[in-house]
Amino acid sequence: MRAEDEARPKGSPDSMGPTPYVARHENSASPVTRHASRPKIAVYWTGSCGGCDVSFLEVGEAIVDILSQVEIVFWPALADPKREDLEAMPPGSIDVALINGTIRTEENVEMVELLREKAKLVVAYGACAHLGGVPSLANLSTREEILGEVLGEGWRRGPPPGGPEEDAPPDLLPRALPLSQVVRVDYTVPGCPPPAGLIGEFFNAFLSGEMPEPGYVFAKAKALCEECPRTREERVLKRIVRPHELLPDPEECLLDQGLICLGPVTRGGCNAACPQAGMPCTGCLGPTPKAGDPGLAMISALASLVRAGEEGEEAIPKEDEILDQLVDLIGTLYKYGVPTFCPLSPERERAGVRGKASPSPVPSQPGRGRRKGGAA
Amino acid sequence: MAEFEPKIVAFLCRWCAYAGADLAGTSRLKYPPNVVPIRVPCSGRVEPAWVVDALRQGADGVLIGGCHPGDCHYVSGNYKARRRVYLLKKILPELGIEPDRVRLEWVSASEGKRFAEVVADFVAELRALGPIGAGSDASRVTRDEESTALRGG
Amino acid sequence: MSPKSGDAIRPSSRHGPRIGVFVCHCGHNIAGTVDVEKVAEALARYPGVVYSTHYDYMCSDPGQELVKRAIKEHRLTGVVVAACSPSMHEPTFRTAGEEAGLNPYLVEIANIREHCSWVHEAGPATTDKAIRITRAAVEKVRGNHPLEPLQIGHAEKCLVIGGGIAGIQAALDVAEAGYEVLLVEKSPTIGGHMAQLSETFPTLDCSQCILTPKMVEAARHPRIRLLTYSEVEEVSGFLGNYHVRIRKKPTYVDPEKCNLCGDCEEVCPVRVPNEFDRGLSERGAIYIPFPQAVPSSYTLDEEACLGLEPLRCSECARVCEVGAIDYDMQEEIIEEDVGAIIVATGFELYPKEEMAEYGAGRIPDVIDGLEFERILSASGPTGGEVRRPSDGKVPKEVVFIQCSGSRDPELHKPYCSKICCMYTAKHALLYRHLVPDGRAYVFYIDIRAGGKGYEEFVARAMEEDRILYLRGKVAKVFREGDKVVVWGVDTLTGKRVEVKADLVVLAQAIVPSPGVTELAQRLHMSCLDEHGFLKEAHPKLRPLETLAGGVFIAGAAQAPKDIPDAVAQASGAAAKAIALLSAPALVHPPEVAIVDEELCSGCGICAPQCPYSAITVEEVAEVNEVLCEGCGACAAACPSGAMSLRNLTDEQVLAMVRAALKEAAEVTSG
Ligand SMILES: Cc1cc2nc3c(=O)[nH]c(=O)nc-3n(C[C@H](O)[C@H](O)[C@H](O)COP(=O)(O)OP(=O)(O)OC[C@H]3O[C@@H](n4cnc5c(N)ncnc54)[C@H](O)[C@@H]3O)c2cc1C
Ligand code: SF4
Ligand code: SF4
Ligand code: SF4
Ligand code: SF4
Ligand code: FES
Repeated sequence: MRAEDEARPKGSPDSMGPTPYVARHENSASPVTRHASRPKIAVYWTGSCGGCDVSFLEVGEAIVDILSQVEIVFWPALADPKREDLEAMPPGSIDVALINGTIRTEENVEMVELLREKAKLVVAYGACAHLGGVPSLANLSTREEILGEVLGEGWRRGPPPGGPEEDAPPDLLPRALPLSQVVRVDYTVPGCPPPAGLIGEFFNAFLSGEMPEPGYVFAKAKALCEECPRTREERVLKRIVRPHELLPDPEECLLDQGLICLGPVTRGGCNAACPQAGMPCTGCLGPTPKAGDPGLAMISALASLVRAGEEGEEAIPKEDEILDQLVDLIGTLYKYGVPTFCPLSPERERAGVRGKASPSPVPSQPGRGRRKGGAA
Repeated sequence: MAEFEPKIVAFLCRWCAYAGADLAGTSRLKYPPNVVPIRVPCSGRVEPAWVVDALRQGADGVLIGGCHPGDCHYVSGNYKARRRVYLLKKILPELGIEPDRVRLEWVSASEGKRFAEVVADFVAELRALGPIGAGSDASRVTRDEESTALRGG
Repeated sequence: MSPKSGDAIRPSSRHGPRIGVFVCHCGHNIAGTVDVEKVAEALARYPGVVYSTHYDYMCSDPGQELVKRAIKEHRLTGVVVAACSPSMHEPTFRTAGEEAGLNPYLVEIANIREHCSWVHEAGPATTDKAIRITRAAVEKVRGNHPLEPLQIGHAEKCLVIGGGIAGIQAALDVAEAGYEVLLVEKSPTIGGHMAQLSETFPTLDCSQCILTPKMVEAARHPRIRLLTYSEVEEVSGFLGNYHVRIRKKPTYVDPEKCNLCGDCEEVCPVRVPNEFDRGLSERGAIYIPFPQAVPSSYTLDEEACLGLEPLRCSECARVCEVGAIDYDMQEEIIEEDVGAIIVATGFELYPKEEMAEYGAGRIPDVIDGLEFERILSASGPTGGEVRRPSDGKVPKEVVFIQCSGSRDPELHKPYCSKICCMYTAKHALLYRHLVPDGRAYVFYIDIRAGGKGYEEFVARAMEEDRILYLRGKVAKVFREGDKVVVWGVDTLTGKRVEVKADLVVLAQAIVPSPGVTELAQRLHMSCLDEHGFLKEAHPKLRPLETLAGGVFIAGAAQAPKDIPDAVAQASGAAAKAIALLSAPALVHPPEVAIVDEELCSGCGICAPQCPYSAITVEEVAEVNEVLCEGCGACAAACPSGAMSLRNLTDEQVLAMVRAALKEAAEVTSG
């Protein structure tokens, strides 16, 4: 067993074993039947690829054990519960709702608000719920641009095919949002999808009743490099390449080879799965607690590392050549976090970066019960 | 409506640009009062995140003042600053910020006049650009909340 | 990273910060344009501020008293003085704070004079700016920690590497100041290149005559330990605390016993070129570089000897009457702790063989400047008579070519070697003195004689000694019979010039001594310039220091230099070393980089950003606080926010930015 695994708190899949039953739930204030004294969980997907739902299987045999200790009250990917079923549940009756996916439609908003109302704890599960995720890269275009692109210029909404009785498909929000921008989030299990170890950690904490402070992200506070076995020799960037341009050396740090690895700014917890497999970290576990905006942190780090010989005036043109090799900055540095770190606003249109201005005004901010901002 | 007065935050290297601004003072040169200087040990201390943060907090422009190439007190901090600003300016448009709102200038301790000129010029340029993100306060509020939520307090 | 920049803390708070703000009028200097009363008022309402006032001259005694009294009365935990530039009175107010029991690092200056009142017209905008500046300073103080200057001990010895005139001078100065010195020289004798020179410009004193006493003094000095035939093998540690490992090769001759009779060299069957005479003479495998060598002893050159293991010849030992020769002598490893290191490894000449265009290497009578020095030298291979290498004839026509290999960015070295103009004038002049009927020509690009008495010296050579100076480049040098023909152009007349010379002397470019690159690596000073010379910490302000703390440079190792400059720099470097060695403890400003080990992933991005190699990364990054100069480059580069700068953290800066940007109303309602 690796040293890292040993160091991991008791929640790692290997150490899951038979987790002791949690007394807290027996004495819990909610009306309990013997059967229902197992904590009730809901798993829900919004704008997601489905990978998060499948990720539970990654935990391996231990998942059987976990599932035997909980009661699943709502999980569309497993059963076929209806919205009405959820609406019928008393507020706060679900112990924890694990929500994955980006928030992209009006229906997503309604559903997560409903879940928030019914659940004691809401967990943002996976990178989409945590930060916006890959689907939120769509925010680089306006809703109108996207619909125009997919449906063709001059598209128009038709009546529901089954007549007015049928539900119309839900409206797209002006842009994709992470869960926390819609409802209050208590915990986060990050990743795209969350790695088995972190899922295990979460359930272990949850089932043992030893949950950390609200707001906790189930991943390491230290960056990925800490658990990455790759060797770091000469820490300079003499060139920047994209993954398809290079068959990386199996031992050497990818960043040192010119690949933009976000390991230095991304929370550990995945055992550096991507770098181990020769792919640079794209940041799915989200930035470390004090990194702030991970893209800007990396801009500073990468620009610092660039060297074209000794630093000096003569080196400037060559340095810029290297820096110019960094393309698709947003896609590279904010693959999972566009709505979290790159606020889209009329500023963006005024800066005239991407095509025509959006006809829609400032996107409405759905959601209620949100705290008032500090900088108003 | 009165003329738009841009707000500028200036991160000034203590060895050169800050001292250059001091010299502008002792020489009683006049320049517009739109800039609030913040003293840093070297332009190489300035982080791109500070710059963007200042702009999101309501600055209309950010000035970074460092030593001329070859003169950095710490040898190469200014080269690092230059590379960081170069890369930052590439991503600013993507973040909805005009790159011209960020300026990196080399001002030596003996260039009081140049400091005054740089500020005057920057103020004029920002006046022409107009206020940053007019009407986009909503997104700023969101950001703050997000960061609080994200970092779990 | 809370965006709330302290609005949680109210002035009434018992445990929060209690900051005092002191706004100075500076007579009319500030109060003339800034409404100081309003500034003080605005700040009084600023979160965290419990006391705010204004006064005519804050830096005056009563002003300082006011600050001190307020610190005590209001139990202030931080002070902001809104006044002139920190470069004026930061020390004043920090001392005042300290006198009142407040840590000096909790006192900050808001510069509202140079940066505000003096540069703007009177009016609300100016007052508003003063308020913003002061608010930002309050945020700085709020985030400051009380700090103490760092103190570390140090070793009291000094290592000098290189025993040329620069190294000798530095060693003597440091030893005279009372400190032990290790003087390490790689060749069998100290003296360096100066020992090879005949006479020295501009005064034409005999080089040996002025050098030898210094060499002897160094050898006899009770506090100088001379380690010749030695090299520094390993250096570890840091400023004030270096541990060095020196390897002394065996000379196989006991210097205590050797009486310089020279019998051994006479019987030695081996003859190899003598380096000291630049190959113009020969020596045995057992030899002494020159009679005045220090230490005064023969040295057995293992490489040249017929064989020691097994012994092949042993003639020398047989004839040595005093039994000085010991074939079993072993190399010695010397380990010492030193506080300071002076590097004085000198220069070499750019190999003349590189100058194919001048026939050097092919034509025996095309020689370099040091060869000519040996030819001129009374103790040289020709006994002081000017005779050329090929046939020993006295040359009647001699061409000197300046800038040979210098100032030629395309083919050779781009820089000016600085001393060649002078020594060429000296060469031509000495030649004319020794061969009165000879003719001397000097090809030059221009004459650089910037030194005391230098211009006069060159003028004298040109006029009194009737040396023909030809401005222009030499196009070709070739052999014709026993002549060396030089084709050139006199750019002043535009005419082609041809000289059928007997001897051509190339003023070869000065290059760093070989092996300096490895030495620099061993010293952890990633600081050679693009040409391989040792790089100073700052080209203007720290010319004697290197970026490795406690390592100083002297002599031609830093750049081409003549003797007076080398000696002056050596004494300067010695003074720097003495200052370090004599300090009871090394005191270092505490505003240095600091690592949060809970957050550092050991990614290693910070380390290469540090110009002083203060950071090492193992599991986590570690900052050697004594080496850190507090530039903050590492903190800015660290992507995870683990690296920070004491008293200028991200949080502080962000709070300062917010304080600078918020409107007054926002703040007070906060
Ligand atoms: C042809 C010629 C003529 C000159 N004429 C004059 C003149 O007339 N007047 C004048 O002022 N100047 C003259 N100079 C310049 C003068 O020679 C130099 O200024 C002077 O020698 C510089 O002294 P230094 O100690 O710095 O270097 P050096 O004399 O080069 O001494 C360096 C010493 O360090 C030793 N060393 C090198 N590397 C190591 C190592 N790794 N470990 C241990 N030891 C090492 C070397 O063996 C050497 O002994 C002349 C130079 C030349 C080339
Ligand atoms: S490959 Fe990525 S995660 Fe691994 S050490 Fe390099 S930068 Fe860090
Ligand atoms: S032993 Fe070596 S040094 Fe001595 S005489 Fe013989 S060859 Fe020369
Ligand atoms: S850059 Fe930051 S995280 Fe990386 S080793 Fe240095 S201090 Fe640690
Ligand atoms: S602050 Fe500057 S000097 Fe100090 S460790 Fe960091 S890079 Fe080195
Ligand atoms: S010290 Fe001024 S820019 Fe580095």
